[in-house]
Amino acid sequence: MQVRFYATLRAVVGSKTIDVDVPAGARAIDLARAIALRWPALADRLIDDRGGLSRQVHLLIDGRNVRWLPAGSSTRLHTDSTIDVFPPTAGG
Amino acid sequence: MEIRRFGEAMAHIDLDSGRIEMRPAPVDWVRKYIGARGLGVRYVLEAGPGVEPFSPENLLCFVNGPLTGTETSMSGRWACVTKSPLTGTVTDSHQGGWTAARVRWAGFDGLIFRGRSPSPVYAFIEAGRIELRDASEVWGKGIHETVAFFERRYGKKDLSVSAIGPAGESKCRFAAWVNEDDRAFGRGGTGAIGGDKNLKAIVIRASAQKSRDVDVDAWKRVRREALDAIRDEKNITSPKKGGLSVYGTNVLMNVTNSIGALGVRNSQSTSFGDRAELISGEHVQQTILVDDPTCHACPVACKKEVEITEGPWKGLRMESVEYEPAWALGANCDNDDIASVAKLIDQCNDLGMDPIELGNVLSMYMEASERGFVTGTRLAWGDTRAMVALTEVIATRTGVGDLLAEGPTIAAAKLGHPEIAMAVKGQAVPAYDPRGLKGMGLGYATSNRGACHLRAYVAAAELGVVPIESDPLAWQGKGQLVKTFQDLHAFSDSLDLCKFSAFAQGAQEYASQYAVARGEAFGPEDVMRAGERIYNLERYYNNLAGFREGSDSLPDRFTREASTMAGSKGHVSELAQMLVEYYAVRGWRDAVVPAEKLRQLEIP
Repeated sequence: MQVRFYATLRAVVGSKTIDVDVPAGARAIDLARAIALRWPALADRLIDDRGGLSRQVHLLIDGRNVRWLPAGSSTRLHTDSTIDVFPPTAGG
Repeated sequence: MEIRRFGEAMAHIDLDSGRIEMRPAPVDWVRKYIGARGLGVRYVLEAGPGVEPFSPENLLCFVNGPLTGTETSMSGRWACVTKSPLTGTVTDSHQGGWTAARVRWAGFDGLIFRGRSPSPVYAFIEAGRIELRDASEVWGKGIHETVAFFERRYGKKDLSVSAIGPAGESKCRFAAWVNEDDRAFGRGGTGAIGGDKNLKAIVIRASAQKSRDVDVDAWKRVRREALDAIRDEKNITSPKKGGLSVYGTNVLMNVTNSIGALGVRNSQSTSFGDRAELISGEHVQQTILVDDPTCHACPVACKKEVEITEGPWKGLRMESVEYEPAWALGANCDNDDIASVAKLIDQCNDLGMDPIELGNVLSMYMEASERGFVTGTRLAWGDTRAMVALTEVIATRTGVGDLLAEGPTIAAAKLGHPEIAMAVKGQAVPAYDPRGLKGMGLGYATSNRGACHLRAYVAAAELGVVPIESDPLAWQGKGQLVKTFQDLHAFSDSLDLCKFSAFAQGAQEYASQYAVARGEAFGPEDVMRAGERIYNLERYYNNLAGFREGSDSLPDRFTREASTMAGSKGHVSELAQMLVEYYAVRGWRDAVVPAEKLRQLEIP
């Protein structure tokens, strides 16, 4: 599945878009864990102490942050989903 | 620098007679309105809400906050407060850099200008003295040349220059004051008031002063606590690690684009697709970034200096490519050429104008051209050379520039199509589309200075970077959220701390620092009450100036034309519902502050 990374996360993975292997029917948290496994330097930023999705990352499925979706980080991914991963981001 | 005595060193400068008097601010005003924004609004109220913006009676107030120029992190700021020629409301705008600190070090808490000089002058400030001096040699000059002139005359060491450019002199309604080449009192047209008063510049020479008359141990402790919060790696302010520090404000471009909250083509769309990347902070950092300048007492260094090495703007070196102008002059004008964006921002810095307003008036004119509303000179989407050329004539009010210098609201009305002005109370919208960030839309509508992202930066909650989080597409609960942010920011703008301090600090940190600086008890509840009082004072002024029931609104585009882009698809702004909530928590009668509320808050 293609995943787009931004800001300080992109600096770690080294590219804007990366292919990440996740099984069919995977959930958002499964994707985050797969990314953390491939880039251990991101593990603390992606996964919290209880194994859930960290508040320090914003994982968007088709433009919606999973934390606002009914199933949260358990939201299922589709092969045609657009996935964006941001660190905390604001300015003005 | 005896910081507990803040408010005593207020200079009143009569530009008609040239007379300068020192009169302390009333103690009661400092207690209730703190400084900078709040204190400035209180002075402007004294001149009368009925005053014409372009008249000698209008005050032009430059006011420090009680923390300005101290060792406090992110405190290098002051406010410019006046009645706006763009909106007719009271307005305040804030400037970073070193000017504010140097004014404090030179012995002044604020400068209150009234009248109109018979010829162009500048104020020279040094060691407790202010003199009005002839500015005829720099009248008509751009800001870069003006700054260089004064640096030759007075030397660069310890010198700051805040000036207006040709746009201010021609009374372009969105003219700005710019200091040290590139830090602006950007919004509300304060530069045009300088032009109307024949005041070209404020030139200050002062070396750093340490804070005295303060509990040294407590002062160190509260400043350390605030600095630790700014440095915390979990916060976006963390130096060299947080997104704001590494990429600057333009780190936002890709996220607002992804969630369908980035206005495109005069806000006709809510996403720039893959082209947003080309004007983003990430792209700037990878391609043209050369330095990360900062302001007085700030470890964040969010400014981004760039150099253009190819194309028509080759050789340009400027700061700073920020999110707001990159959006206004980029995506909103259908322009994905970052070099031209840098060129246009630098033009704004040199000519002295607000790039948010400029981008909006150009995008409005592009839409008008496309729809056949324009009979003369037309402007195509993304025509960067024409944008650069038009910017020059707007600053001098030449040809069609005279129309566009009025700002999008008046210009669109004169074209017979007010509906294509994306503005509130005459001031253009910033870079957060209200269909994708619902709270920001309510913030625009209820801002006391016209559409503004900085009166209530609820994007911090809607984007999830502060502990209070809120779904950006939900309208419920936004009334309370917007009020809380408006009141908190009204206080920090009055201290005057950088708005970005709110990404790491809250009412507790603000209260702790202010309490030690003043030498008196002050808690977080006092922060929120003072902020509420300041916000209501501004609203009271606007009510007296004619902004009554129904004046808090958004352009119909945001409430009637649904987003078609991912993230916000199908959404409009539910402004009417949000306003009901908002007025209830404010205790207002529609857009009007009732007398009982004024009494509760001890206003004025």
